[in-house]
Amino acid sequence: MRLPRKAALIVLLAILAGSVFSGFVVPHSYETQFRDNLDEPPSWRFPLGTDPLGRDRLARLLYGSRLSLILALAAAAVACVIAGAGGTAAGMLGGRWERLFLGATDVFLSLPWLFLFLAVRGLIPLNAAPITSAIATFVLLGLLGWPGPARIVRAAARELRQADFVLQARAAGRPLYRVLLVDVLPNLRPVLRAQFWVSVPVFIAAEATLGLLGLGAAEPLPSWGMLLRELENYDAIAAKPWLLAPATALVGVLVCFHLVLSKEESLS
Amino acid sequence: MALICLLIALFAVALVRFAPGFGADELSLDPRWSEQSRAAHSAQANRGLMELYWLYLKGAARGELGVSTSLGAPVAELLAERIPVTARLVGEGLLASWILAVSAALLLVRWPAAMADIPAALLTGLLLCLPAALIALGCVLAGAPARLALAAIVFPKLFRYCRDVLRHLADAPHVLAARARGLPDGRIVLCHIFPAALPQLFALGGISVSMAIGAAVPVEAFCEWPGIGQLVWKAALGRDLPVLVNLTMVVAVVTLCANAMADAAVRFWGQAGTT
Repeated sequence: MRLPRKAALIVLLAILAGSVFSGFVVPHSYETQFRDNLDEPPSWRFPLGTDPLGRDRLARLLYGSRLSLILALAAAAVACVIAGAGGTAAGMLGGRWERLFLGATDVFLSLPWLFLFLAVRGLIPLNAAPITSAIATFVLLGLLGWPGPARIVRAAARELRQADFVLQARAAGRPLYRVLLVDVLPNLRPVLRAQFWVSVPVFIAAEATLGLLGLGAAEPLPSWGMLLRELENYDAIAAKPWLLAPATALVGVLVCFHLVLSKEESLS
Repeated sequence: MALICLLIALFAVALVRFAPGFGADELSLDPRWSEQSRAAHSAQANRGLMELYWLYLKGAARGELGVSTSLGAPVAELLAERIPVTARLVGEGLLASWILAVSAALLLVRWPAAMADIPAALLTGLLLCLPAALIALGCVLAGAPARLALAAIVFPKLFRYCRDVLRHLADAPHVLAARARGLPDGRIVLCHIFPAALPQLFALGGISVSMAIGAAVPVEAFCEWPGIGQLVWKAALGRDLPVLVNLTMVVAVVTLCANAMADAAVRFWGQAGTT
């Protein structure tokens, strides 16, 4: 493993550990308000200062990192399950099923995902709980993010369709679903694993864009996208450079992901 | 393509039909209306999916796309006002990003030096790691025009694909033969590598339209650009489903047309290359 990849992996693990064990790093919750410390600059007590409502910015950043990372992993899992099921079935069945599947992926891939997302996002009630809206955002991202991985899984499954061990299993009279589960899926695991990890930074960046547009997680729940909204106050950034901390963390994590996954990206 | 458009329209109508609060009306809370009148109105409002779909298609054929619930204006009028504005932004942004991407990729293939390759890889890598909205916000802070923000979002994807395609073709047998004959490098790139890459670049052209339209949402939202990107953003914030579904339809038709044109260009170029 080359040095930049090793360094990126260490940074990623440090951020993941910091966000998962945020309770040990900062002693208070992301929503605790310190009404005597409104909009304070960084100090020993609040290393990234407080926001205009008196909430600790570091606590919100760490909890937001946890939410964004965990839900991005979940969204990638949703996308890979759909891609795995659809791609494997299409690749193994072939013929018109495969053509139908490819047509569906072409349509999804050719449409701008943001428009589709905004149309479907409109279904979520305005009074939905913050955690519900955050989970719904990532589930929708997962549901819309399947076509890219699905095409790659389909291509891999198609190659396996003519493999000797698959032909032998079919000739021995093993039902198709058992061939899929026992013979094909285990061989597709490396492809699915690569697609899973490649999808994670894509969903993190997508959530950040949605959060900045006000369509991600709802207050008071912090996510990276939600925290970036403070940057919309253009005049404040020069006077309070610590407002850039969430953007720096987000870009840092995405750069680290790209460095760590450079091999998988080149394979896909 | 017509079938796909009809399916997308059905999807759009289904979204409206099954959205929470569909059929709810202020009238149902108005005590001046009798119970029977309210029931009759409710029965009329709560139409089935296929009936709604048919009404939508009939209206769309006449150019009636409903009324925006948040802006109170006919959707067709809103679209007519805003589509040309977005078309200008997307056109200018795409042109800038294509010129930059193809020129940079051609230069890298002509002079394949690590000194140039590393900065290009770092710049495009960094741009790929920035969420589209953050790039748009950065451009607003820097006072850069909206078209530059859109170009900065699309450029890294186009550049990497162009560079990879051109590099792959630089090792093709006909290029090696041209090199062996001692043709100048510039001529090899422009006359032997670039034309062979055109079918793949045409195909990318269709996809780049979709990328640019998607990027137009954050760019228009932050740069105060009054196009359909800003409209869809405001509609999503206000849960304005008539605007959302019609915009999705329009964008679907535009991207499908762009892809169909790209496919036609690929086929035409393929035939021209073989004859």
